[in-house]
Amino acid sequence: MSSNLERRYRRVLRLLPGWYRERWEDDMAAAFLDSWLTGDPAADEYISKLAGPSPAEVASVAWLAARLHLGGPATARRYAWGQAIRRAALALLLVHAVLGLNVLVLATWSRRLFGLPAPPVILATATPGGVWDAVYYVVSFAWIVIFVTLVFGRYRTARVLAALAIVPGLVALLQAEFTRVMPVPFGPWSWWILFNLVLVLAMAAFHPGAPPVARWPWLLALPAGYLVVIAPLLTLRAAGGSAWVPDLAGQCCLLVALACLAHVPRAWSRRAAGSGVWSLTLVLLAAIAGAYRIATLTGLLYDPHLVNVGLAELLIVLAAVALVAPDAARAQTAIPTRPRPRPTAA
Amino acid sequence: MTGQAFFVLTALADKPRHGYGIVGEVAELSQGRVRLKIGSLYGVLDRLADEGLIEPDREEAHDGRLRRYYRLTQDGRQALAEEAELRAATARVVRARLSQTGPAAAGAAG
Repeated sequence: MSSNLERRYRRVLRLLPGWYRERWEDDMAAAFLDSWLTGDPAADEYISKLAGPSPAEVASVAWLAARLHLGGPATARRYAWGQAIRRAALALLLVHAVLGLNVLVLATWSRRLFGLPAPPVILATATPGGVWDAVYYVVSFAWIVIFVTLVFGRYRTARVLAALAIVPGLVALLQAEFTRVMPVPFGPWSWWILFNLVLVLAMAAFHPGAPPVARWPWLLALPAGYLVVIAPLLTLRAAGGSAWVPDLAGQCCLLVALACLAHVPRAWSRRAAGSGVWSLTLVLLAAIAGAYRIATLTGLLYDPHLVNVGLAELLIVLAAVALVAPDAARAQTAIPTRPRPRPTAA
Repeated sequence: MTGQAFFVLTALADKPRHGYGIVGEVAELSQGRVRLKIGSLYGVLDRLADEGLIEPDREEAHDGRLRRYYRLTQDGRQALAEEAELRAATARVVRARLSQTGPAAAGAAG
């Protein structure tokens, strides 16, 4: 039952911003009552009638309210962007790790290790023949290690390894600038900038003060990503359907579009706590996938059909991201409510 | 780390505590020098929760109201240990400097 004392204190708490009260008001009121009430009904009734928040207590709430009103929206915006950048970086790392896993699987299969049968010719990979091939293999496997290291909270180690892992790609690109010969396994500048450089910079958002990474969902995403995305594409290629497999930029656009569509029910439900940060993450990923699609369109100019396919992929990702963009905008003004613990009896 | 945050984390180091329990423990730990107001306490708790250093543990009903308990996270435990080490190292430096310039050192110089 709400006592007079509690009502007086809750009146003071109205100074605080709504999002903060939603998270902490009940807790604060309980702590305040604990500071007054004795457990003796007669004494508590007397206290409840006469007592109230002291001037010092009111001042502490007023000071907190001033700080939150002045810095609150900035806090919400900073939190949303920080989380979205961290999740987008994890998603990019996941792309690298899944691709690295694919290199590992195909290399194992091609060498018929563990008694595996020979793979279809189109999927067989050659034994590394030169320095660049060997470096490419090492870097591919390194991304798996970097992903797992980051998920386990070893942020500094992951950042150092990632910074080292992007160097061979840069060296290959610079060499190609001078010799006009690009080492085969390495991608173009747009890939290096968007999926290497931007990623390493975004990894700076992982710091000891950041909320910890949800370990198991991200770890499970690695085999799941391989089984759900890569395995069907390999099957399609093995069945002779390579023409139906979009290029990497197209795959990125379509995957982000699918993720946006899967997220729409949560984004449109105002009751889903924390959906806005995921929406903002998807907006960031769509920007990267879209930029990569645009940058790689120039490589398709020899075939107008492929250009049209590339433009269609771009439109699809734009349309899909438009569905979650309003929720992403809301994420910057409202801090999601922290999940409440399970109540237990005293 | 602010002094208040340090005391709050220390109050949660041995077991989860609810809001007023933290206030009492901080007063005891600081030998009465730090008496947190509820507004100040929840400003600190909000920041520590955002930084992933504490998290809700459970809720218990007490005299018709719910007490929410908080506990240190692994990151919180590590941050507290690092801060304690830093403060201890600083205290050692201060003591060493004071001993150089204190009455004994001054006597030796004179």
